[in-house]
Amino acid sequence: MSLADFFKRYPNRRYIMYGGKGGLGKTTFSAATAYYLAKKGKRVLVFSVDPQASLSDIFEQDIFGKGNVTIIENLLACEVDADRRIQDYQEEIRQRIISMYGMKKIPEEIESYIKASSAEPAMEESAIFDAVVDIVVKGDFDYYIYDLVPLGHALYYLSMASIYDAWLEKITKLREQMREYDKAIATMKREESQEDEIYNELMYIKDRIGRSSKIMTDTEKTAFFFVLTPEEMTIVDTEKAAQLFAKYNVPLSGYLVNRVLDRELLKDNIPLYLKNRIEMQSRALDMINQKFGSSVLSTVPEFDSEIKGLDVIRNLAEVMFEEKLP
Amino acid sequence: MEKKNKKKTGGIIGFMRDFTYGMATHGMARHALKTRSSMEHLFILITMGDMLGIPILPPYYSLRLLPHVVPQITTWKRRMLREKDFMDSMY
Repeated sequence: MSLADFFKRYPNRRYIMYGGKGGLGKTTFSAATAYYLAKKGKRVLVFSVDPQASLSDIFEQDIFGKGNVTIIENLLACEVDADRRIQDYQEEIRQRIISMYGMKKIPEEIESYIKASSAEPAMEESAIFDAVVDIVVKGDFDYYIYDLVPLGHALYYLSMASIYDAWLEKITKLREQMREYDKAIATMKREESQEDEIYNELMYIKDRIGRSSKIMTDTEKTAFFFVLTPEEMTIVDTEKAAQLFAKYNVPLSGYLVNRVLDRELLKDNIPLYLKNRIEMQSRALDMINQKFGSSVLSTVPEFDSEIKGLDVIRNLAEVMFEEKLP
Repeated sequence: MEKKNKKKTGGIIGFMRDFTYGMATHGMARHALKTRSSMEHLFILITMGDMLGIPILPPYYSLRLLPHVVPQITTWKRRMLREKDFMDSMY
């Protein structure tokens, strides 16, 4: 099956993700896929949460922290500024406290707690995945292409989400018990029992976490592709990562091989260095074939220029999808 | 307002009602309130424990709960950090 076939055969897979080690071409593949689908008349949003986001570089347009920016017709791009999102969120909490209790200033111990929270582990991942939920919930796009930061990030979040879930389960139970007491006390005192806002918050949190991990693990709507290059180390790493992702029920949909040198070059009189590299790659390609076989959906050659600008992206999209684009 | 008026016009029936409440359920209500407040403190410990240096897993979402527990934080901290509860000796 080719990559184009995949999109034809599974039109419901609307959340598209490219994963893989850093620097292998996840962002360029995301951009090219977005370009291809947009040219096919679909409304596409490609977004990145990487603080060193490179969608701006690829589209040669500054989009960092600017919301959804139109690149071409039907294609919008977005780079989430995670730091700013955390700051805005903290400010929102402060405002809520101030308005709830009519305070002039946040008490010092509360303020220092809020400040310290941004340094906590997992704060950024949570903020990022929460941002993703926002993007996906409110959008009206046919496709969402999620340019993931390197693998660890996503795995970390998925494992965290399952811990979150267990944690929520426990405290929700405790909260329900407390609610029973509230009701009993209210009956005894013959008062109306009040609604528990914390309980409502817990339900909200549960819903958000459920949604964010669902985006990555939805077997009907999500397609996750691995990007790799023909190098032994990358192959071994990718295989390991794929096993981990499978454990968290991420629907792995295929592999894309990037930066393949043209074997035709061997016919020419080329320097030994290049010859050795081509031979190394053919050994690696055999290995890829052996390990992933028909799951390899596309093989993309090494380009002679950097993938930047819409013209080059179109070229890349044409190669990836084996199709001429208008 | 309406509630207040009802109380005032309750007269002898209202008195009887309050009297029986005092006799029968006041102790129970007090006990329930106490248990409830212990639970509240336990809840804050689980969600905000890192304020006392106890690592709590998900900081992003627990921040959402913070506004709701602001008034209890001080008593909670005092209670948690107190070496011994003087109430312990009473039971």
